[in-house]
Amino acid sequence: MIACHNLSKSYAHGQSRKDVFKGVDFTMQRGDRVALLGRNGAGKSTLIKLIGGVEMPTSGRIERRMSVSWPLGFSGGFQGSLTGYDNARFIARIYDRDYREMKDFVEDFTELGRQLKMPVKTYSSGMRARLAFSLSLAIEFDCYLIDEIILVGDQNFQRKCHFELFEKRADRSMILASHSNEMVREYCNRAVVIHGGRATTYEDVGLAIDTYSAL
Amino acid sequence: MARSNLGKLREGWRIQMRVIHALMIRELNTRFGRENIGFLWIMVEPLLFAGLVSFIWRFMKGPEEHGVGIIAFVVSGYIPLTLFRHCVGRSVSVFVANSSMMYHRQVKVTDFVFVRFLIEMLGAMMAYVFIAVVLIAFGEFPVPANMGMFISGWLLYSLFTLSLCFVIAPLSEMSEVLEKFIPVTTYIMIPFSGTFSAASWLTPTVREYLLLSPFVNAMELMRGGIWGGKVTPYYDVWNPLVCSMVAGLIGLALCRHVRRTLVVE
Repeated sequence: MIACHNLSKSYAHGQSRKDVFKGVDFTMQRGDRVALLGRNGAGKSTLIKLIGGVEMPTSGRIERRMSVSWPLGFSGGFQGSLTGYDNARFIARIYDRDYREMKDFVEDFTELGRQLKMPVKTYSSGMRARLAFSLSLAIEFDCYLIDEIILVGDQNFQRKCHFELFEKRADRSMILASHSNEMVREYCNRAVVIHGGRATTYEDVGLAIDTYSAL
Repeated sequence: MARSNLGKLREGWRIQMRVIHALMIRELNTRFGRENIGFLWIMVEPLLFAGLVSFIWRFMKGPEEHGVGIIAFVVSGYIPLTLFRHCVGRSVSVFVANSSMMYHRQVKVTDFVFVRFLIEMLGAMMAYVFIAVVLIAFGEFPVPANMGMFISGWLLYSLFTLSLCFVIAPLSEMSEVLEKFIPVTTYIMIPFSGTFSAASWLTPTVREYLLLSPFVNAMELMRGGIWGGKVTPYYDVWNPLVCSMVAGLIGLALCRHVRRTLVVE
């Protein structure tokens, strides 16, 4: 279970202050696949970062009763100047996994071949997505936090993700921030719409998508 | 209950060790790469500093001062000083530089500060051993008379440096002005670090003031360990211990405060 209690986040820069959202309450159970919907800048990534523990809430608290992945997104989690292999080794070390097994899985899943010996900063966003997914799948979390990034993958990658994440690990939970209504409808059983600093939970994904599309 | 708490503590300690180990290797890789001498570069800079400065002093001031070899004296002062200056420099903006690692919850901001300090300390120690062995071979450096005293002094000096890093790292995040003052502050610090003078060379009044500095106390201890009966060290081990404790607690509180508002890209 993951529960957010009265979560607020605001950013201060000098004198100015921006409230991203206020009083967000939201609970998800094991096995839930929650879609985060909202326009650009509504706070989807911020909410994912708070749930992932990357940033701290301004007020409120988060309860995590299952293992939660780091947010899989366009930035973060990697050191750009290090190679794909070095990053894999780092992650294997801090999550206490066997590096050789991880390496095999990463090579097989990413199909990046010799590119894995290059610094991650030279990767395209699709290549980063492959690496990020392969590392977090190798570690096996109960809940995956996915920030848009599935969409940048090509057909082959999307097929692999579909198999590894939605078939082989169908029992896992997931929070998916996405602008793809199709993907949300296909994979999620609940949805949260963030708008104007408020978050509304919908049990009916179709209704959520209609609300979001009307914004 | 007590047992499970102990188990939790042990598990926490294990995670902590793993994270420190992984961050160390990562930091060494990003800073020095795997080309040529690789991580051995960490000792090159303190070596060059201590070596060159001591030779300049040797030619400017002659072979001895107050009965101790000038090369050995400058080396014994300069290696700890470079440790301090490098650690302070490395602590500035350390959170931003490592922010991508904050995606992993087991990595804490204090780990970044500690890892950078540890690398500098290891580098300085390697440089110290290297230069001392070479100079001892040439008869320019005494074999330490009291190794325990020397190492205690080194550890106290390092401890106070570490506690300062814990203060500077979060402060550099809170204010950009601070960053501009750091180079000049570490420069002004030199007379108060005991690098170029022993307390016994000074007048009692000046000595009394200088001994308020934790660095001077630790430096005196180190030099007492190196030269034994040839010098008169003045020190109080409680000064660096208490100062480190106070600075460390303030620093940890500041780190906690800054972490709450830290923006991670």
